[in-house]
Amino acid sequence: MREPAVVDAQHLGRVYRRGNAQVVALASATCAIRAHDRIAVVGPSGSGKSTLLHLLGGLDQPTTGTIAWPALGRREVLRPTHVAYVFQAPSLLPALSVIENVELPLLLGDMDTTAARNAALDTLERLCLSELAERVPEELSGGQAQRVALARALASRPHLLLADEPTGQLDHATARQVLDTLEASLQDTPTALVIATHDPAVFGRMRTTWRMQHGTLMDAAAC
Amino acid sequence: MLSLLWLKGLIARRSARLVGAMAGVMVTVALLASIGSFIAASSASMTRRALTDVPVDWQIQLAPGADVAAVTSALGQATSYQALAEVGYADLSGLSATSNGTVQTTGAAKVLGLSPEYTQLFPSELRLLIGSMDGVLLAQQTAANLQVTVGDFVTIQRIGLDPVVVQVAGVVDLPQADSLFQAVGVPPGAAPQAPPDNILLLPADQWHALLDPQASVRLDSVRTQLHVRVAHDLPSDPESAYTLVQQRARNLEARVAGSALVGDNLGARLLGVRADALYSRVLFLFLGLPGVLVAALLTVAVAASGADRRRREQSLLRVRGASSAQILRLEGLEALVVGVGGVLAGLVLSVAASPLMGAPVAAADMAVLWLVVAALAGLGLAAGAVLIPAWRQARRPTWAGIRTAIHVNRSPLWQRAYLDVLLLVGSALAFWQMANTGYQVVLAPEGVAQSSVAYQAFLAPVCLWLGVGLLALRLADRALDRGRRVVSWLAQPLAGRLSGVVGASLRRQRELITRGIIMVALAESFATSTAVFNTTYNAQSRVDAELTNGADVTVTGSTASNPGGLLPQLASLSGVVAAQPMQHRFAYVGTDLQDLFGIDPLHINDATSLSNAYFANGDARATLAALAAQPDGVLVAAETASDYQLQSGDRISLRLQSSTDHQYHVVPFRFIGVVREFPTAPKDSFLVANAAYVAEQTSNSSTEVVLLRTSSESTDVAARVRTLTSGLAGVRVTDLGSTQRSISSSLTAIDLRGLTQLELAFAVLLVGAAAGLVLSLGLAERQRSFAILAALGGRSRQLGAFLWSESLLIVVVGSLLGVTLGFGVAQMLVVLLTGVFDPAPEGLAIPAAYLVALLFTAALTAVLAVLAAVAAARRTLVDALRDL
Repeated sequence: MREPAVVDAQHLGRVYRRGNAQVVALASATCAIRAHDRIAVVGPSGSGKSTLLHLLGGLDQPTTGTIAWPALGRREVLRPTHVAYVFQAPSLLPALSVIENVELPLLLGDMDTTAARNAALDTLERLCLSELAERVPEELSGGQAQRVALARALASRPHLLLADEPTGQLDHATARQVLDTLEASLQDTPTALVIATHDPAVFGRMRTTWRMQHGTLMDAAAC
Repeated sequence: MLSLLWLKGLIARRSARLVGAMAGVMVTVALLASIGSFIAASSASMTRRALTDVPVDWQIQLAPGADVAAVTSALGQATSYQALAEVGYADLSGLSATSNGTVQTTGAAKVLGLSPEYTQLFPSELRLLIGSMDGVLLAQQTAANLQVTVGDFVTIQRIGLDPVVVQVAGVVDLPQADSLFQAVGVPPGAAPQAPPDNILLLPADQWHALLDPQASVRLDSVRTQLHVRVAHDLPSDPESAYTLVQQRARNLEARVAGSALVGDNLGARLLGVRADALYSRVLFLFLGLPGVLVAALLTVAVAASGADRRRREQSLLRVRGASSAQILRLEGLEALVVGVGGVLAGLVLSVAASPLMGAPVAAADMAVLWLVVAALAGLGLAAGAVLIPAWRQARRPTWAGIRTAIHVNRSPLWQRAYLDVLLLVGSALAFWQMANTGYQVVLAPEGVAQSSVAYQAFLAPVCLWLGVGLLALRLADRALDRGRRVVSWLAQPLAGRLSGVVGASLRRQRELITRGIIMVALAESFATSTAVFNTTYNAQSRVDAELTNGADVTVTGSTASNPGGLLPQLASLSGVVAAQPMQHRFAYVGTDLQDLFGIDPLHINDATSLSNAYFANGDARATLAALAAQPDGVLVAAETASDYQLQSGDRISLRLQSSTDHQYHVVPFRFIGVVREFPTAPKDSFLVANAAYVAEQTSNSSTEVVLLRTSSESTDVAARVRTLTSGLAGVRVTDLGSTQRSISSSLTAIDLRGLTQLELAFAVLLVGAAAGLVLSLGLAERQRSFAILAALGGRSRQLGAFLWSESLLIVVVGSLLGVTLGFGVAQMLVVLLTGVFDPAPEGLAIPAAYLVALLFTAALTAVLAVLAAVAAARRTLVDALRDL
């Protein structure tokens, strides 16, 4: 018997209001994501990649269509444990050290403080970032900060990892390093990975590629 | 074009920052303009009151043989005047009268010759007690000495001439005897001359008929004065008014070339008022400037709260090729918008708030100057708050601007130099020096045209304020840095398992948090010190009025018109809680005639309040108990105790008038202590003794004064008392409310209610702004962090843990610090401004309701700020995510 989908989305749409104008951020997207999936969402800027990721992760609500997380539960329980994000821009909390940033989602998920600290240390060690544990974000390079953001996302061992152009602000070498880290970390885990990207070097490493055009997800129906 | 584009963007996208800074400038300008207007208006009001208070503006004493018409003509050239009367003064060998078969004779006496219209022209010089104003009048004390009343005959002992007999038509009180009989032309600083003990007043015609011949015998025993009320077309500022009046007086003396000297009562009164005006200026500045400073600091803090965003904007501008000058021009545009908007709003607010102060903004010419000063200060503040940080930022390299501001810096210079400690030591030294060396805040020596303020008196409270502020900054910084475990433990109830992370977050954001703490502390200290000082001032103003009036309502009669006889009726009047009789007699201490108050020491407190400060030992209860235990005990003035080298228990002999023979007889008393002040007592020497003993020794149980404590409005009770005592001739009823309004001898007469109401309202606004605005602007600046926290899965409760911990820390620590500092500053002000109070207060009066309202305001605004921040973090999550 096939495992239930992590995400099941039907005809998702998202329209924003800006004053009197309506902005269609996402016209239509139908897709399903399962465990172990490695999906790249590609498309030009403004095609609706980020909006799709926000909807898939339950950060935002669709104005049309339906979305469900059969393997995870209701929207309210998705974060911080089941779904994790990695953003394009620096997203570490500047007032917290690296270790505190990494353990934060675990604490938000009501994990015991000692267990959370140990899990965070384990994750940093796995990602070879232990030496950065006590630094604050402003003391990190762009690549280091993004790897720490990755560690934060992976620390809670999520079922779905959504990464919105995680290498968009990094040079090629650093980007490759981050992707290597990501791939290595997800090896042997059932975590589904969805990456929004422009970068062929990124989507070339994914098993599946979805294309977005003018707010519509073109070729994900088969999933 | 770029400027317009930038301005449009600012208004559309950075309106909160603009409005916040503008509000800070507005409050600064409004507060400064209001204080200035109040200073100007109160100075004008003090001048006006002085002008109406003086019974005779000038007493021009003519040299023997001088031509009255020529002097009058010169007077008209020197100044315009409203009233003029010729008054004759003559010395007499004495007065005598026969009463009950015995002849009473006085020592040297004075006789005045008054024209019929004199009492209409100068009504406050004479007060008729009994009889008629038409005819021969005797001063009250003289009538008592001669034991005569209306219809009796008095013999005038002229110098070198035969005595003449006149019949008394009335007995009068001369409330302004000191100035009426002043020695005109004595050098400045000479000891004041006591008014004569025996005074007779004759109609001018009769005076000339009887005393002109004396001039031919003893020329120096007869003089003529012109009493003048000059035109009151004077500047509103007492200093300028004094200078002008003095110049006119000198001008007149120059015109008459030695044939007349001017006794300048108006000038002397204005001389006193200018000291009060300076006191008031110092007082208002003491009270108001911290508020202005807090408002300015808030403006800077509001402007600084956008520092990160500004840094990013500047970096982007520079990356796109904008020069430093262009960037500064754009920032200058923002400063201009903030400055002009804030100044206009502040001026409008100060005008709108003027009815609250009870003084129109344009009440005095000086007010305009203050408005200009306030406007310039507002523009300067806007420039300083916006432009200086922008200029400093513009000088940095571009890459540095892109980095965020959370970092551990080296300690600032002031911390390394221990400026906080130095300021506190300086404050303690200045305070010690001021409080122990009998300094005076205001120096207005007689005869010197310029008065001055000892502005160094500002040093102690200013240093205390700054020192505590900086020390708090250091300690809060240190505590947050090193006390992370404690902070985490304290955050446990709110943050639960997140407490460690919350503690770490608070530690790294300690710069922002300590800034918030200091803002709240300074705003609360301003509010607290103003409220505490104001409450103490009002309480003391009442004590001052009660000291002058005697009680809530005081009935003053004489031995003949004895209000004590109506004691049961007075006590049973509606609104009267307690009634206490008090004797007011006179007793000779050696050759010095002093007021003697006979009291019931065990019950006097029922009807009036006797402060500990009234007695040299600082203990009213113990002193009264000692007096009650010693029937022949007497309390004397410090000066008397010193003159006669009195020790407690010494026997002293006073001479009191007996009712049996109306002669003064020796009565033995025992000295038991020194009294400084007493209800209704004069400023100079007086005595307090047991009424029962005085009554027994003088065979006279009359009580000339009745003190009433009331439970309702004293003015209403006084009206009922007047009706009851209308049958007693010469009885005077005064009430506390009227006295409080009419006292003009001390600064507590100034009605501070308007200003303090305004300041207290501003203080609440500032506390609200400090707790709410600084917090919410700081939170708004970190909106992105909260969005990340929400994106990571933080629930509202967890998001709130960070915000509540931060705001609690700011409000609780800030309030504790602020209230403590406020009390310290208020205490210091009370000690430093001792000259304001008469008598000095025993302790600070605590405005509990206001303080509770203040803390509630701080808590409420903080709660609203946090709730708004939590809601905004949720609401703007999607927008914020688009930036991530």
